[in-house]
Amino acid sequence: MDLGLRGKKAIVTGATKGIGRAIVELFSTEGVDIALCSRTAEEVESTVRALEQRGVNVIGEAVNVREGDAYKAWLERSAQALGGCDIFIPNVSAGGGFDSEKNWTRNFEVDVMHTVRGCETLMPHLEKSGSGSIVILSSTNALETFGVPQAFNAMKAALITYSKQLAQHVGRKGVRVNSVSPGPVYFEGGAWELIKGTMPKLFDYALKQIPCGRMGTPEEVARIVAFVASPAGSLITGSNIVADNGFTKRVQF
Amino acid sequence: MDEFWERSKTPRFTPVPRARPEDSPGTPLEKAPDPDLGHGIIDQRRYFSREFMALEWQRMWTKVWLLGGREVDIPEAGDYIVTEIGPESILIVRQRDGSVRAFYNVCQHRGNRIRGCGIGSTGSSLSFKCPYHHWEYELDGSYRRIPDIDTFPQGKPPHALTEIPCGTWGGFVWYTLNESPPPLLEYLDPLPRHLEPYNLHKMVQTRDITVEWDCNWKTSVDAFNETYHVQGIHPQLLWYLHDLDVQIDCYGRHNRYLIPFGTLSPRVRKPNAIPEPIKTIMKAAGMDPADYDRPIAEIRRDVQQHKRAHGARHGKDYSRLNDDQLTDDYHYLIFPNLSLNVHADDFWIFRQRPHPHDPDRMFYDIMTFELVPDGQEWPARAEHKRWKHGDKSIGLVLDQDAENLPGVQAGMHSRGFKGLWIGAQELRIRHFHKVLDDYVYGPQGKPAGAL
Repeated sequence: MDLGLRGKKAIVTGATKGIGRAIVELFSTEGVDIALCSRTAEEVESTVRALEQRGVNVIGEAVNVREGDAYKAWLERSAQALGGCDIFIPNVSAGGGFDSEKNWTRNFEVDVMHTVRGCETLMPHLEKSGSGSIVILSSTNALETFGVPQAFNAMKAALITYSKQLAQHVGRKGVRVNSVSPGPVYFEGGAWELIKGTMPKLFDYALKQIPCGRMGTPEEVARIVAFVASPAGSLITGSNIVADNGFTKRVQF
Repeated sequence: MDEFWERSKTPRFTPVPRARPEDSPGTPLEKAPDPDLGHGIIDQRRYFSREFMALEWQRMWTKVWLLGGREVDIPEAGDYIVTEIGPESILIVRQRDGSVRAFYNVCQHRGNRIRGCGIGSTGSSLSFKCPYHHWEYELDGSYRRIPDIDTFPQGKPPHALTEIPCGTWGGFVWYTLNESPPPLLEYLDPLPRHLEPYNLHKMVQTRDITVEWDCNWKTSVDAFNETYHVQGIHPQLLWYLHDLDVQIDCYGRHNRYLIPFGTLSPRVRKPNAIPEPIKTIMKAAGMDPADYDRPIAEIRRDVQQHKRAHGARHGKDYSRLNDDQLTDDYHYLIFPNLSLNVHADDFWIFRQRPHPHDPDRMFYDIMTFELVPDGQEWPARAEHKRWKHGDKSIGLVLDQDAENLPGVQAGMHSRGFKGLWIGAQELRIRHFHKVLDDYVYGPQGKPAGAL
């Protein structure tokens, strides 16, 4: 099946590690031009260099998405440099944390506002695309009780609602909006590697909730994101796609 | 380089920033020259031989200074501590003049123990009455009353309770079964200078636990004398401390190592979030991990500076500690049996005591203490608890050590085991055994073929 991604232009935030990295890796093999960012300049540079090998146009900068104006300027700059934007994947997250009220500020500014600002800034470009598509990264933590009542879970839930309503709002302009909610995803340097090392009981508990006994990989999430983002997924908008290997137990009608 | 070497070699790392010796106002920081102790195998029979156990008792345990208890636990005349070492029980008593004296805890009539293990008070009687026939002793060990003395034609014994040397340092009471011991401070040297900056006297006891462990006392001493086992049985600590950038210093009888806390081991990948164990260090210092935006590698220094800036406001005097002491673990072995984890706000003593007659068993005492900030009320000390190996959790890290030790002890007995193969990260183990040999075999050295 041809996803129809060749020649598309994608902007992906937080793309040097984990799920974000897997997404840009996959895009690059599908012939997508890419603009990416992360917090660390060296990591951006090495990721850009690696992806360029695939023969696509890749640009990247170190950006702190909490700094709204600088972040929006980068998005605009990137869309101009790529010559447009067909796909936007807001992937950065402040991650979990149950330390203080500041966790709420962080997850609000990073998870929610970087998504909202990104969608608003890039919407004119996505409208022009004709096959504009946004895939927002949420989490199964938004869907079912897990761990502690932390800001991450509630802010990821906010993103699903935002995604649905934005889909209705921009649908007539030909832009699709969806969210993907991965369950536990294990990768080197990722949250679950840290949990496995420092909270082995929690790790074992989570693993037991997965019927086939295996957490997801970033590559598996990336394939779903790429499909939903691509013209091949043209009928899907306003959906939240749960990609959790059976981790959650609810029935989704 | 062959494949085995490639798989096995130590990861490379950048050393953590360290306080310089000249910036340490109290505790010396200079690296002590490593003693040349060779690379020989340590004989595993030392860990279960009854003959070696007897030699240890005759030539070491009855010669060294031992930790008896804490002065603050016996503030009033007549307050006492009963502590045990091997087959002996010791009665430590606060005297009417405020001094402390120690005696074998044995009634001179028929040999009964006068008091059971623990802390207590004579109350207003200011005397010890043996529960068997009510022979009664003054606080200084002399006789107050022997019921029906007229039925002893030979009169009272010419000797009273047998006194042993006793001293105090660091808020602790020390005793020795050695009738002509070296002075206490000379025995402890150079550690008093190392430990005095820590405000030990301002710390309240928060845990007081004795667990009977199924291993030799040295198996336990060894377990706390190297950081090499962190990657083996404490994987979670690799996101908490640097197990390779460790300064080892061996002194005359005692030794130490300095472990950076609040930083990642080079054995693990840099995670995308602050590990929970490091968060606990930040929170204890009054920092909010959710409000921290700098790289994880900066946390240790930032915690040090935060504590330096805010310590006094929280009633904590860090003025005699260097910056590293505000985060790191300064770990001392006071020969023969005290493993100390010393920190700015707390310290832990793990005391390993031999079983009276079984070399495959021991008593593991956990004593932890926390700094009471100036101006705060002195809380009640933790009550003493006692149980057997595996009965209850003693915390994740110590449970990991405890679960492992019976297997180590069992393996010592194996015909298939050739002895302990000790590496450079375990230099303190070698040093400890050298000091033990100095006691057991004396200045002429270990005879050929001896354990």
